[in-house]
Amino acid sequence: MIATPETTDLDGSHTVVSVPARGATLVETHELSKQYSGGVLAVAGLSLTIRAGEVFGLLGPNGAGKTTFLRMLTGLIKPTSGTATVAGGSPGSPHSLAHVGAMIEAPAFWPYLSGRDNLRLLARYCRLPDTRVAAVLAEVAMTEHAHRPTGTYSTGMKQRLGVAAALLKDPALLILDEPTNGLDPQGMVEFRNLIKNLGTGDRTVLLSSHLLNEVEQICTRIGVIRRGKLVTEGTIDEIRGGTELIVRAQPADQARLVLEKTYGADHVSVRDGAFSLRVDMSQTATIAKSLVMSGIDVTELRPAERSLEDVFIELTGTEGGS
Amino acid sequence: MLAAVRAEWFKLVRRRALWVTIGLMVALAVGIEYFLVYIVATHPPAGAARAGAQLSALRTGLYPDSVIKKSLANASGLVGIFALIVGVLAQGSEYSWATVKTTLVQLPGRISIVGGQLASLAALALIMTLSLFIADAMASYVIATIDGNSAAWPSVIDLLKGIGAAWLILYFLTVLGFGLATAFRQSAMAIGLGLAYVLVIENLVFGLLVNLGDTFKQIQEWFPIANAGYLQDSFGRASGAVAAAVAGPPPVDAAHAVIVLALWLVGVAAVSATLVRTRDVT
Repeated sequence: MIATPETTDLDGSHTVVSVPARGATLVETHELSKQYSGGVLAVAGLSLTIRAGEVFGLLGPNGAGKTTFLRMLTGLIKPTSGTATVAGGSPGSPHSLAHVGAMIEAPAFWPYLSGRDNLRLLARYCRLPDTRVAAVLAEVAMTEHAHRPTGTYSTGMKQRLGVAAALLKDPALLILDEPTNGLDPQGMVEFRNLIKNLGTGDRTVLLSSHLLNEVEQICTRIGVIRRGKLVTEGTIDEIRGGTELIVRAQPADQARLVLEKTYGADHVSVRDGAFSLRVDMSQTATIAKSLVMSGIDVTELRPAERSLEDVFIELTGTEGGS
Repeated sequence: MLAAVRAEWFKLVRRRALWVTIGLMVALAVGIEYFLVYIVATHPPAGAARAGAQLSALRTGLYPDSVIKKSLANASGLVGIFALIVGVLAQGSEYSWATVKTTLVQLPGRISIVGGQLASLAALALIMTLSLFIADAMASYVIATIDGNSAAWPSVIDLLKGIGAAWLILYFLTVLGFGLATAFRQSAMAIGLGLAYVLVIENLVFGLLVNLGDTFKQIQEWFPIANAGYLQDSFGRASGAVAAAVAGPPPVDAAHAVIVLALWLVGVAAVSATLVRTRDVT
């Protein structure tokens, strides 16, 4: 059993730490902005809601403001304007931090301490028992290397230890900023599987990345940001345009009449010799049935899916990530 | 804040570089202030200005009854420089390793973390002080024995007062190093400016200004390096390589020096805490 972190609010009173229920709002930002000295507007009025239990991907090209946004959520930097609530508290407050584990950019450790001692140190800050250290080391498969000074670790080992550090508090919200940066392809696959496992329970994961493949494989919902602004958010299917159906049917003229009559002309278009139909996916069977009943041969009926890359390029323009 | 104190202490005691620095500090303090002075006193170079009674005073100043004066002279001089460096290393490394962000996303909150750091440094300054006094006492005992003199030690009360004064001087310098590293978010600039201030700037500025009138003398009485010297002098001036060649009693008493040093210590700590609390960690 994990010891629950105690928090002391600014007035010195102790707060009972409760875990937000699944589906409850865990992160909520309203018009959050950050302008650095020098006039650089890194985040520009970003409003976002993340619910407990989601694996949320923050997607955006390099320099879009992802890291600045995550730093604001963890209280490392203060917003210029706007508000944010993270796990029921203001970002960076003890109440909020009790629920949040974070790895922002490259994980940083005390190089003269072993991996285990680094985690024991962090456990002391959070008043957690050393037994928790052994548990998280096992969770990220680092027990074998835990005795070595972190100054001797490879990038992949540091990333794993970074996740272990973020997991120490058994947080309701796990924030990972570009966690596969610097990893080789095999390391990326291993790391991706690790993150997938972390997001399978009640834990909420907020993952930032500019790697589309990574986000597509891991996340249940994504938000795309560009120049500090949220340009879209939704499930992967919604973002890719999963509300369109591709229909091929013969004779085409007759099929078009049926479709336009049933769903309206403005919902039907022709692309590459096929009909593109903007309807709810639950209508698929009904469409097939109505066409067949009208004596039309249906040769193809499937959801129209653009690749996430197409959508990403479309939304972020020429800034597209790698 | 107790959690932060435990964590910071855990971190400090495992840092070998700090113990090497403290070991080097003690070795140099004893080596220069005792054994080098002893060699000079027993083998004066031909044509040396010091002779007779002066050499004798230099030699007897190395005996156990002068251990408080000697240790305080060390604390205000060479050892103080090491204390400043320890303070810089304790905080500057956090910025160079980027572990500031690792720490600040943990539970305690920024002010508690700074409190933990300063409390740990207070303990470390006490270890430095005790190491210095023990090493100086051992060296003085060895020299007295070599000279065939009986070891007459200061009273326990005086010894405790001396340790307290040395701790205050060393702790202030440690916190000054910590504060400079916090302000500059790095070690190199903090060490450079810290050394320049402790060794040159304050003494140079007031060395020039006091010639313009008594007002500047009175202003100097509220500056930290001057008061570290006054506090040291309140126990009597030590003879030796680093002892200040200043005549006359200190212009302020020990209580004044303690209060001024304590105020500077609290001030530097408060500024450091404010910087950590309010600044973005990018």
